[in-house]
Formats: sequence, C-alpha cells, structure tokens
Amino acid sequence: MSTVPRQNTPTYRVGVDIGGTFTDIVFLSEDGRLLTKKISSSVDNYALAIVQGLGDLFREHGLVGRDVDVLRHGTTVGSNAILEHKGVLTGLICSEGFRDILEIRNLRRPHLYNIVWNKPQPLVERYLRLPVDERINAQGEVEVALDIAQVEQVVDRMLVEGVEAIAVCLKNSYLNPVHEYAIKQVIESRAPGLPHCVSHDVLPEIKEYERTSTTTVNAYILPIVERYLQTLRASLDAAGIHAKLLLMQSNGGLITDAEAARMPVNIVESGPAGGVVGAQALAKKLGLAQIVTFDMGGTTAKASIVEDGEVSRATEYSVGGGIMIGSRLLTGSGYLLRVPAIDLAEVGAGGGSIVRVDAGGAVRVGPDSAGAFPGPVCYGKGGTEPTITDCNVVLGYINPQHLVQGELSLDASKSRSAVAEKVAGPLGLSPEHAAYAAFKIAGSNMMRAIRAVSVERGRDVRGFSLFAFGGNGPLFGADLAQSLGMKLVVVPPSAGLFSSFGLLYADVEHHYSRTFRRVLSTAGVSDINAAWDKLIAHGRAQLEAEGFPPERIRIRKFADMHYKGQSYELAVPAPDAPLDATTVPVLEETFAKEYERTYGHRSPSSIPIEMVNIKVIALGLPERALVPEALHDVRAERPAPPPRQVYFGPQAGWQRTPILRRSDLAKKTDGPLIVEDYDSTCVVPPGATAELDAYGNVLIRL
Amino acid sequence: MNAPTAAPTIASATRDPIAFELFKNSVAAIADEMAVTVHRTSYTSVVKNNMDFSTAFADGDGVIVAQGLTLSGHLGAIPVALQSVMKCFEGDIHPGDVFAMNDPFEGGMHLPDIFVFQPIFVDGKRLAFACTIAHHTDVGGRVPGSSAADSTEIFQEGIRIPPIKLYDRGVKNFTFFRIFEANVRVPDKVVGDLTAQLSACYVAEKQFLELVERYGADTVSFFMKEINIYAERVTRAAIEKLPDGEWSFEDWIDDDGVDRDKPIRLFVTVRKHGDEMEVDYTGSSPQVRGAINSTYSYSCGSAWTAVRAILPQDIPNAEGASRPIKVVAPEGTIANVIMPGACAARAMTGFRMTDATFGALAQMLPDNGMTASDGGNTNVSIGGYYRDRKSFIYVDFTCGSWGARAFDDGHDGLSHIKGNMASHAVESIEAEYPIQFLSYEFVPDKFGPGKYRGGAPYKRDYRFLEGEAVLSVRADRKRFPAFGLYGGQPGRPSENVLNPGTPQEEPLTGKFTRAIHRGDVFRTVLAGGGGWGDPLERDPLRVLRDVRNELLSDALARSQYGVVIDRKAWAVDEAVTQALRASARKARGGAALPFVTHAWPADFDGTDIRAIEAAKK
Repeated sequence: MSTVPRQNTPTYRVGVDIGGTFTDIVFLSEDGRLLTKKISSSVDNYALAIVQGLGDLFREHGLVGRDVDVLRHGTTVGSNAILEHKGVLTGLICSEGFRDILEIRNLRRPHLYNIVWNKPQPLVERYLRLPVDERINAQGEVEVALDIAQVEQVVDRMLVEGVEAIAVCLKNSYLNPVHEYAIKQVIESRAPGLPHCVSHDVLPEIKEYERTSTTTVNAYILPIVERYLQTLRASLDAAGIHAKLLLMQSNGGLITDAEAARMPVNIVESGPAGGVVGAQALAKKLGLAQIVTFDMGGTTAKASIVEDGEVSRATEYSVGGGIMIGSRLLTGSGYLLRVPAIDLAEVGAGGGSIVRVDAGGAVRVGPDSAGAFPGPVCYGKGGTEPTITDCNVVLGYINPQHLVQGELSLDASKSRSAVAEKVAGPLGLSPEHAAYAAFKIAGSNMMRAIRAVSVERGRDVRGFSLFAFGGNGPLFGADLAQSLGMKLVVVPPSAGLFSSFGLLYADVEHHYSRTFRRVLSTAGVSDINAAWDKLIAHGRAQLEAEGFPPERIRIRKFADMHYKGQSYELAVPAPDAPLDATTVPVLEETFAKEYERTYGHRSPSSIPIEMVNIKVIALGLPERALVPEALHDVRAERPAPPPRQVYFGPQAGWQRTPILRRSDLAKKTDGPLIVEDYDSTCVVPPGATAELDAYGNVLIRL
Repeated sequence: MNAPTAAPTIASATRDPIAFELFKNSVAAIADEMAVTVHRTSYTSVVKNNMDFSTAFADGDGVIVAQGLTLSGHLGAIPVALQSVMKCFEGDIHPGDVFAMNDPFEGGMHLPDIFVFQPIFVDGKRLAFACTIAHHTDVGGRVPGSSAADSTEIFQEGIRIPPIKLYDRGVKNFTFFRIFEANVRVPDKVVGDLTAQLSACYVAEKQFLELVERYGADTVSFFMKEINIYAERVTRAAIEKLPDGEWSFEDWIDDDGVDRDKPIRLFVTVRKHGDEMEVDYTGSSPQVRGAINSTYSYSCGSAWTAVRAILPQDIPNAEGASRPIKVVAPEGTIANVIMPGACAARAMTGFRMTDATFGALAQMLPDNGMTASDGGNTNVSIGGYYRDRKSFIYVDFTCGSWGARAFDDGHDGLSHIKGNMASHAVESIEAEYPIQFLSYEFVPDKFGPGKYRGGAPYKRDYRFLEGEAVLSVRADRKRFPAFGLYGGQPGRPSENVLNPGTPQEEPLTGKFTRAIHRGDVFRTVLAGGGGWGDPLERDPLRVLRDVRNELLSDALARSQYGVVIDRKAWAVDEAVTQALRASARKARGGAALPFVTHAWPADFDGTDIRAIEAAKK
C-alpha cells in the first residue's frame, strides 16, 4: 500500500469526539480546509458510528482512507463504564486488616443535612476484596513478609469467582513495591493473560484510599477500554483507514491507543479536555495569554482556565460525583481518581435543565434535566416541564422553527405556554420576564463554575477572555462575560463540536509522578535530581518508543509542595536544569508566590517548605504547527433567516434583531444580533459588537 | 442607560428574584471558599485531615446567611458565639478588628473550639462578619489534646479565651499570642491553624467586597436580610405540612467517665403546632462531673440537625431556617452546662441528643428519619514527647455506622449526620506520628437487624511506637447500644481493648485517660447502628449480599432474619426461608412489634435513677 498522498489532495488530521448523544467528527487539512459531521452515537458499539461518520464524509468529499494522516479521539467509554457500573468483575488484593479502604472512602458526606443521599456502590464488592498477610512500615521496611502460598490461594479464589481483572494495593507500597510485585508474579503465573494492575505502577503516591481507588478503577475499566480500542482499530482497518490512533487523556495530552489500553484511568475525562486544549491553541494564535473556557451542552456547563498559555490541572477528581465545583472541597461523592486532569468546574446547567418556582417563591434552574428524552417542551417529544432551551425560545434567542439547520424542528408556542403556566404565573411576571429570570439564574450557576476556577483561586477574571463553545456556550457567553466584567468573548468555529475540533491541536503527552517527601532546604539536591532523572528517563523512553526523535521531545518538571505540616499541596513548575544551591531558593520562592496568590498570605519563614511529590510531563512535539494559518469551512452556508423580536431584559425589552451567518460578520457589526451556525447559536446583546477574525472566530467585544 | 444584560441592580426592584438568586449563590460560594482555605492551609491533623472546623458568613448584625460544607452541628453554635462577642465589644468594633473566643460560658462550645470572627466594613459601615471555628489540636490543660472526658471542672481543660481582639484596628495583639503560645503543647502548629482561620476571613472579605462593588452596599445588606426571611419562609412552609402533636423519647449515656457506670438520662420532647416546632430536653439528667456536658448552643445544633434532616433539602443553610424551631434546655442539665462544669467531650452528648431527637421524630413520621447511629464520634488522642523532648499530639474523631433509615439501610463507614469528619489517611498518620495502624476495617455481625439494617461498624488498631504517651479516649454505647425502631433491633455495643489477642489483653471502659508504652496496641470498635422495621420483612437478597460479603454470619442470617443461604449457588434458599419466616411470625403470636427496642444492660432499671434525678430537681 502506498503511503504517498494522492496528488492535489491534502492529508487530514481527524478529530472524533463521542458523547452520550452525538458523535462529532472534524477533518482539518494542513491548509485549513475544515469538514465537519455530527451524527447520533451508536451506544451499543461506539466504533460503528465513527466508521459510518467517516464513511459519510469520505463519500461527500471524495476522500479515501489514506487521506487521513492521524485519528485523534476523545471518548466517554471509560467514564460510562464507571458511571453505569459496566466495568468487569474485578478483584482487589489488599493488606490484612485493611479490607474496606475502598468502601470506607474518606467518611465525608457531600450535603450537610441530607439523610437520603447514598454512598456510591463500591466497584469491588467485599467478597472480592481479599486481604493478604503482610506489613510494610512507614519507612518502607518489610515487617511481615508476604506468604506466597496465601497469595496463590487468594488469586485462585478470585479466579473461581470469575474475576476478569485484579487490582493490587497494599499499605505503604508507595515506599516499597516488593510485595505488590511478588503478587503480580503470582497472578501472571496462575492466570496468564488476566488483566491486572498494581498500585505502585499506577500511582506510587502516599494516601491509601486515593491509591486504592485509582488502581481499582484502572483495573475495572481496563478490559472494556482495551476491547473498545481493539474493535475500533479493526473497524478502521476494515474501512481502509490505517492512520495512527491517538487518545485524549483527562490531562489534555494525547497518548497512543496501546498506552491508553494499559492505563485507561488516564482517559476517563477524555471528552471535555479536547475543548480546553483547542481553546488554548487558538488563544496562543490570537495572542491571548489569559482565557476562561466555557463549554455548555445539554445537561452541564464546564469551565476551566488557561493562564500564561498553560491549562490548569487538578491532581485528582471524582467521576460521577454529581455536580462538582472542581476538585475543590473534599465532598465524599463519586469515584475518586488521583490522576492529573484538566481542572474543570462543572455545574448542572444545560439547555435541558428544568426551570421551576419553589415553595419560597424563588426561581430554580436544575439540577434536574429533561435530558435528550423527553427533552425541552418545544421538541414536542412529551416534555411538559419548561427548560432553559424553552426559555431561550421564548426570548427569541433560539430559532423558533428549527435547530441544526432544519434537522430538528421546534414548536415555540409549546415553550411559551409552559413557561407562562409553570414559571411566569406563580411569579406574577410576563412570560418573557420569567424566561429572562431563568436565563439569568442559569447564568449565575455557570458563573459559580467560572469563579471556582478563577476568582476563588485568587485570579482576577476581568483580565481574562472568555472562550465560549458547546451547543449552548455561545448563547450564554456574552451575558456571562458581561456579568463577570470580562471584555472579550471568542466563539470559535464549529463551536458546537469544538471538543472534537480541539483534539486536533493537542500534543502527545505523558505524565509521571512519585512521592518524594523532603524538606527542600535540608534535602540533598543530588537525591532529588536522581529521582527526577528516573522519571525523565521513563518519559523519554516512552516517547522514543512512539517514534519521537530526541529533538521533538520536551521535558517539563513540577513539584507538589506545601509548608511542612500541611496536607494540601500546590503544584509549581521547577527549573529545567538539575537543582543546585542557587535554584533551590528559586523553587521555594515560586511556591511561596503561588501560595500567597492563592491564599492571600505566606507562612512565617520559620516554617520550612516541603516537597511531597515530584512530577514530570514528557511532551512529544509535532513536526509542524498544528494550528493552520486560516480555516475554510467547506459547508455551504444557508441563507440567513429574517430578523426577529428578541428580548434582552426588562430594561432593553424586545428588540428587532438581525439574524446573521458567520460570513456576514466580515465587518465589525453592532449588537443586538444573533449568529445562527450549523451547530450552535451565538447571541450578541445590545451594546456589544461582533466581528469575524482570520481564523473563523467570532469576536464579541463588550 | 445601563447595558440591559449587565448584572441587575436593586435600585429599582425590591423583589427582584433574579438578582436575589444570583446573590444567594455568591454568598454560599464565599462560605465554601472559606472552608477550602482552612482545609488547605491548616497544619494539624484534626483540622486538615479530620476537617473538624466550620465556616460561615453573617450579615452586619451577626445573623448567619450561609454555612460552608462543613459540620452540621456547628451551625447552631456560631450565632451564639458571635452574639456574645458583639455584646462584649458593643461600640468598639472597628475596621481591622479580628475577634476570638472559646469560652463555653460566654457562648463557646468547648475550649478546643476557637472561634475567629472578622467584621467587614464598607465606607465605615459594618456590613458583614466572616466566621470560622476550628477544633484546635491542643489548648493546654491536664491531658494532651484537651479533649479528655474525665475532667471535672473547666479549669482542668485548658486556656479559656473570653471574647478578645486578636487584632485591634489592624494591630496584632502580641500579648494574647504570647500567653496563648505559652499555654498550649504544640504552639507552632496551633498558631498555624489559627492563621488558616485568619486566611479564610481574608478570602471572605476580598470576595464580599467584590459583591459590594457589583451590587452596592445597600442592595447587599438588603439581600442578606432577605436570605434569612426566605429561609424562614420555606422552613415554615415545610413544617406546616407535618402532623401536629407531641412526642417524647428517652435514651441513656453509659456514664461520664468519672462516676463510672452511672447512666445519664437523655430525654426529649418534640412539639409541633402549625408552622412551628419545639425541641425540649427537659427531663434530661442534671449536669455531671465529667466533661460531657453540652452547652446550650451545641444542644441547639443537635436539635436543628435532626429536624433539618427530615425537612426538604433545598432550604438554605442560613440562620432563618432555625427560627421556627425553638430549643429548650434547662440550665444546669447535661443539655445546658453552667459554671464550672467541664465540657471538653461534650460532642458525644450532642450526637446522642440528635439520635434521641430522631427517636421522637420517628413517632411523628413513621416513614422518614432514621434510628440511632454509633453514638457520634469516638475521640482518640495520643500525646507525648519524642526523645528530643519535642511534643507530638495525635487527635482523631472517628465515627461511621449510621442508624438504619426509614427507607434504606444505615451507611457503613460514613460520618454521622451531625458531623462531617473526614478520615485521616492511614499512611499519612504513619508518616507523621509515632503510630502504626494494624487494622481499619468493618467488623461482622454487629449491625442492628431490621427491614433496613443499621450500619456496620469498623475497628481500628493503633500500635504506639514511641517510649510513652498519654492515651485519652471518649467512646460510648458500650452499655447502651443503638436502639432499633418499628421492630428493628439494636446494634451491638462498642468496645475498647488494650493489646487484644495477647497475654496482656486488657478490656477498657468507654472513657478514660491512661499511659501507654512502646508496642502497646489500642483497639477501638465502634457500636453498630440500630435497625428499622421488621427483620423478617428484609429483602432476602440484601441478607444474601451481607452474608456473601462476610458482614453477616449464616447463623445470624437464620436467627435474626429467617433467611437461609445456599452457599454453593450463592442464592437464597427460598423454600426454607419462607418456612422459617412463617414459623417465626407464628411464634410472635400476632403481637404487634414495639415502636422502640433497646438492649439495655440486664441489671439496669432506670426507674431508680429517674426517681433520684426527679427528686434532685
């Protein structure tokens, strides 16, 4: 088979993002040609929809498999397996006396006075959590040696129970993995080929619950993710697409499908990461150093920040913890994963969020959602409770007849009567005023998410620009920015499928960490450097194995630090060069500055600064710039609909508002106006201006 | 004209539901962000890992408008403490002031709980207070950790801080800090935690001033009042829907750790009429010599926690929600201590008052609420000196077995509804203290049977690795286990043992202070939660799950639930189970199941004590 592209046909990078409802596909050529497709996800076998969607685009544009250079993929297959408890039957081998670490969790409850809330079911039932007699002390010394015969019995018992994967997490194994590795050998000899994970390999960090939970989740979803990736690869091959497959990780970097199958815990929050990375790349191109990303779909809204060109990362997060304000306060909800992830704050506010008036006479939005079915009242699929989308129809923000350029028809009168009856009536307001109230309150929930990643970490959000995407992001973006005192909103091209678009701009990235507790001022730098070098060597080896030459490998070092005695760390970048007597104080000052910025004070200099974990990010750089100079969307634009009446609050009232297409914005235009795209609707309020830039972004200035 | 989509201002609208909801969210976020700050910048395990602290935000009159995601029991106490400070410094509260106090006899709870309040001013007008309270790992006194249950007067329990200024118009009160540091065992860490509280106040002030900038000072003040009016309105609407009437409940505390084995009575009456409720602890024992006397403020928190738990969830955590719920606790009783009573270990009594209140509420609402939990957290403090004479203090509060709920099992391993403590990571404790854990896991056959069973308790084995230390423990429900309701059965009692399974094994009481030495192993086992409803009505599949998970033995599955498990197929033996259950029902002879089932000691006859205590009054 020839690998030479056909003449005059550019090769494409392809981004594929699978959500619960839709599979979004984006093709981008080096010269900026952009092809997009949104199709329904095939829930039984996600690979089907991918191959079908690719096939559709091939036919529509006369392409063949070898025109695809690389396939970059974001998937919810890992998080779905966790949320729906559809991982494999997993066994957990633990230390004698500590059988219930996974189930006891951290004892915390996420609500003060709630007796109805239930703890998430443990992913491994107690009968499959089996202890082995052994003890390693807090210095890493073996106090009670492992009894191999007992391990064999335990493994055999699990096999009789039919486990399909085994996780191993022993107390203090972060200091000394000797027992975990011995168990690994037993598993490999008793059950060759059985997937298994030991905690020292997955997360060699202190804190047994965090390590146990992360290792268990990895084992629990490993066979599912592995099978999925194999099926996808086979389906692609069968369709003549032999391009390399890269997976988006929760941390915003890409890994190969082989690596994803080995450490699936890294791709659990694969989906939302794509949008943030895409925004980061576009912001760099636009010269915007500080941005807030705002991604709003049908059920939730997510915010994150990019600061000085860097995405912000959390060291742990919970899957299925309900609606989270980031990883900020130990809430006890969901399934804890201690892996680096883009720090997203998520609130339950989406187009489907239900609007009601409570007993105290306050307007409530969400967190319950009408979901995809029955959906908003205007969809006419049996929904009776007014949703945010219905309010947006009442306000005229959303086209009263249809969405997705006619692929989904709407009944605006249904929205109006639902809002009038369920919200406006009880409040004694007009329907439009009531709808506007709900719009603003939904916005205030989303502002909590944005504040959680910015203001609450000591960042003044007024100096940031807002990147608004997702099906509903561009509708709320300008209003939110205005409320938060932000001056610029960027609505990227293909905003409604931007998570998939963003995949195209990500780099290959591997993260490594290890507990290395030392007081900085008294630790020997050679010790620290040696530990770091070990992680760096891992990173280089991994990237070289993936085909990156040394000149395209970049290593970045970080340290988790705190004032000695504290339990919560801040991650700060460390100098590239090995530490020495002059750079140790620099690292200390970097930490102290970050601490002061976050908490408003420094601790007295008598309290030493302690390093807890060392970290390395190994980046595989692309051969060429990933962001093209300009984009050309090849989708033919439909004629713009006529102007309509749109409501902008009690003061501005109803205004006759032009409805434009993106291409109509070549010149700066004053609001109010609405841009109707294929996949989203962008609202530009009165007093704001909008224009198109060279990269296809709508820039809204406030 | 303003841009129409700008954040709404109150200038025109006095009842603007939009701006109000926006503001309510913002204030709740401030209280949560304060909690994050304390959690992340504190030094001692009890604050940073155990999360024994609370944060709240109050209006300029000192009325709470939001509480952070912290401890339920503290919400009742913060207003009392704040009012005490405001009264004490009336006319002398200025920008730059920061107040502190811990004195139970001036509105505090117990000495380790230090309140820090910072007033927030705008243009010379006091608009708000940032409020934090943290349990400090040591405040001096006779026992490391300052939490001993067996102290007999307040003067043994540590340094008393009446309302004082930590900062006076921005000037640090060095005198106080010097005296304080000289009186506590680990001053650098304790002051570090105090600094964490100050940081939280700083963060609150910064965010609040942004709100003022956005909305204007008048609007902000108006909205803060409005939040409490709203909270009161929704609470009254919810109470209105409950049946009217009066219900009483009795339970007993093992002892106070001083007068060993002398039970202490808790008695509560709940009265409900219209949109108001009264929770009355009259009939509870007179205050005791040991340090488990509750303060009025803490008793309020105990009562409110139980009532709030049976009301709808979306009521804001603001003071207005408690206005329709009056709490009565006569002075000089276990529920309202007066000078010079000791109260360091009062939390246990508060937890038990919440449990007893659930007992009264269950009569009002047979399908809501819960039965008794493990009795609230067990306190384990281990303090001593390393060879180099540096001191260490490990303080832990641990609880986990819930009572069964009217609609589901009690939780296994979850903080009590009145607290929300987190568990320390065992590996972190081992890295920081001379303590090794030999176990931390569930113990089978201990939960109270019922249609819905109580929570399974866990045990912890602590091995001590230094030369010598003082171990102080506060546990309960050793003689008076968690009760069962509506046919549900009591849980099994708690246990404390030194060096279990060795020739040196020594059973211990619930509350004690004693020396331990290198190599000693202390085991504490929590009490099992009580059950709710007839065990014969329990879904046999739930019994199967417990048996399979080795939390319930075959023998108890048969005797308590009438369920027989086929271990080969891991299935319920339906035929035998039906027969067993039928004969068990027959044996009852159609007698109605009692509302409450206790497992009081065989020799206990409360009537004597009740008579004596009645005579004392």
